[in-house]
Amino acid sequence: MNQSIDYNALDDDAFRRLVHDWMVANYPEELRFPPERMHWEQCGRWYLKLAEKGWLAPGWPREYGGMGLDANKLLIFMDVCESHGVGRTPDQGMTMVGPLLIQHGSAEQKAYYLPRILAGEHIWCQGYSEPGAGSDLASLRTSAVRDGDHYVVNGHKIWTTLAMDANMIFMLVRTQNTGKKQEGITFLLVPLDTPGITVRPIINLGMHDEFAEVFFDDVRVPVANVVGGENNGWTIAKALLGHERIFIGSPKFATLAMYRLQSLARAVGLFDDPLFVSRYTALKLDVEDLGAAYRRFVAVLKRGGHIGAEVSMLKIWNTETQQRITELMLEAAGESAGIWGGVATADGPVRPAGEFIGSRPTTIYGGSNEVQRNILAKAALGLPG
Amino acid sequence: MEDISLQAKIDVLSEEQVLIQDSAVAFIARDPELKQVRANRFVQPGFDRGLWREIADAGWLGFLVPEDEGGVGLGFADLSLVLIQLGKGLVPVPFVATAVLAARTLTRADDAALRAELLPRLIGGDWLPALAWQEARASLDPTAREVVCTNGRLHGTKCFVPDAGGADAFIVSAAEAGGTALYLVERDAPGVTLAFEQRVDGGFFAEIRFADTPVGKQLVAPERGAAVLAAALDEARFAVSAELLGVMTRALEISVDYLKQRVQFDKPIGSFQALQHKAVDLFIQSEVSRSVVLQTAALFDGDADAERRAVAASQVKARCSDAALKIGKDAIQLHGGIGYTDEANIGLYLKKAMVLGAWLGSASAHRARYAELTLGGAQ
Ligand SMILES: Cc1cc2nc3c(=O)[nH]c(=O)nc-3n(C[C@H](O)[C@H](O)[C@H](O)COP(=O)(O)OP(=O)(O)OC[C@H]3O[C@@H](n4cnc5c(N)ncnc54)[C@H](O)[C@@H]3O)c2cc1C
Repeated sequence: MNQSIDYNALDDDAFRRLVHDWMVANYPEELRFPPERMHWEQCGRWYLKLAEKGWLAPGWPREYGGMGLDANKLLIFMDVCESHGVGRTPDQGMTMVGPLLIQHGSAEQKAYYLPRILAGEHIWCQGYSEPGAGSDLASLRTSAVRDGDHYVVNGHKIWTTLAMDANMIFMLVRTQNTGKKQEGITFLLVPLDTPGITVRPIINLGMHDEFAEVFFDDVRVPVANVVGGENNGWTIAKALLGHERIFIGSPKFATLAMYRLQSLARAVGLFDDPLFVSRYTALKLDVEDLGAAYRRFVAVLKRGGHIGAEVSMLKIWNTETQQRITELMLEAAGESAGIWGGVATADGPVRPAGEFIGSRPTTIYGGSNEVQRNILAKAALGLPG
Repeated sequence: MEDISLQAKIDVLSEEQVLIQDSAVAFIARDPELKQVRANRFVQPGFDRGLWREIADAGWLGFLVPEDEGGVGLGFADLSLVLIQLGKGLVPVPFVATAVLAARTLTRADDAALRAELLPRLIGGDWLPALAWQEARASLDPTAREVVCTNGRLHGTKCFVPDAGGADAFIVSAAEAGGTALYLVERDAPGVTLAFEQRVDGGFFAEIRFADTPVGKQLVAPERGAAVLAAALDEARFAVSAELLGVMTRALEISVDYLKQRVQFDKPIGSFQALQHKAVDLFIQSEVSRSVVLQTAALFDGDADAERRAVAASQVKARCSDAALKIGKDAIQLHGGIGYTDEANIGLYLKKAMVLGAWLGSASAHRARYAELTLGGAQ
């Protein structure tokens, strides 16, 4: 698993060139700037190519097969990918389960699961939310009842991103009904081909089957698949949310949106309009300045420190900036704001309607921005309530 | 669904207006689940001809046509009551495009005999003309340049013509000596090609190419064409603003209703102050929009001055386009995950706001036009 190359030792320009040249040479042209989240059948081969190169997990430590990039190099890596239109793969193994297992998994779990993520053998999805448990996640009801060395799982998860492409789900289940809601929750790893699991795709606002419902009907899961011990799931999940929020707090998506806005503005001649240039630059600086904040937080992780609830500020800033960028794209597109097809540009078609719609849920998932503000009010400002 | 607008509290309607509003409310109440909207999405022509006939039977298509031309001869305030409901119900018909934009172009046609022939057919619902005027994205300019008429033949391309797939004929503006003329062109005239773009609301915009297409009758001579178009366009901008008002009003009603129903943390989410404040901000947006729609209707009903109408049309279109988009997108946020599905109807309102907000000029285009028309004195 150990990666021998120390990318952090390269100077920034050399690293940028290295990543850029490899992406240009290897990323499939037809997948550049995909209009929506790609399914496995589209991007599976690319995923495996990245895996083979050892670039699937830029943020993981090298000893676990990651690139071990520091914050600065991570940002360069992201920027190169976004400027080239490198689409997102089903990446929840890399962004979520991996970091979680590195922190909280047993030695056996690390040895078993991490290489399978890196090899593209396990594609993960996240089974937290339920119809009745969204923002109030702790009220989740999907139950796991102990039966010998198995749990029997029954319940209903929803909004599970790319569940139809995954073969593994990490989920929160209720193992205890007494005491505080948070105290009876367990973190469980479940192969999706276990009998009793049904996945039903849901069409999203962009008319794409990007998420799904997952039904569990007497599904038997080995007790060994628990991470962090029975009834410790809430603590584990909170630690993972930290990783999720630093990922959705990274300037990745806002950077991509900015590149799309730039292509669109060039195509329709808006850079001659001083009013547009001023608004464009304000957004550009919103993204740049987010980069500064992101660097500061990632540095804490790299030092081995702990990031608390403060990280929510990144998520709020990033997602709302991204939304404003796509709103300016709508404005720039005139009547084409109302069509799926979008506008032809030198960098391929830009679809403002799709970008605008696609950026809506970023303020809903990963803990809605309202809930993040509630958390910051208490955790950062010490406000009562 | 509870009406949360301030209309009942602070506005006055005439008896006749109450009847108009009631019949429009009843009309959309027949499809509370928006089944008709979904049935017509993404399939040509993108609207429902049967509904169109029913709307014709209700008499609404003739509202803006004078009585002596076979119409009902009502005003813009009256019409807005219908449009608000059509917006609330997302009724899949090209009402503004046909019964306002095309009809108000035809009411200004030069020849009385031609008016007498065409208007009753339009009002009766058997004949659906589509007006093709626009030649560039984000353009508000009624002067034709790209589409040229020489020796009775048309050449060039029009864009963003709504719902043209179901049109029976086109009204086309064309450059020729002396200005911009308006012609009737038959749907199946030689040299006409339509290329469709699917809109997010499920309808279609067409790009219409004319290659050596013979024109039909001239409706408006080149001296008057641009002015006639400009007038009809500003009326249509008002009308589409009223429709947007309906769209935003219902999106807010649905959201407020959801805030009362949805429980998280053992409480209705509507009890959280963060959401209450957001909802109130949206309510203010919608009521300011309503105020501007009312004011503009009164102006259009009482003042024929083209420049004052242009200023008012840009003011109301800028406000309603902006407010409808704001309310549409915040409505999704208030709904959480369910709001991001195709299954939930709330998203249909956001998509309608995206389409109508951009059509006939976006908020920013109309702010720019407003500035151009009014800043003279200030500078
Ligand atoms: C595109 C997308 C992908 C997703 N992917 C996944 C996934 O892979 N796995 C998974 O488990 N989940 C996923 N989710 C679910 C996501 O985490 C939930 O949608 C989110 O937690 C919100 O829950 P909810 O949808 O039930 O909305 P609700 O919790 O019902 O929220 C509705 C509204 O109420 C607000 N609200 C709720 N509580 C409060 C409060 N206390 N104070 C102020 N406002 C409040 C919310 O901010 C929101 O505006 C995804 C969602 C989306 C949209």
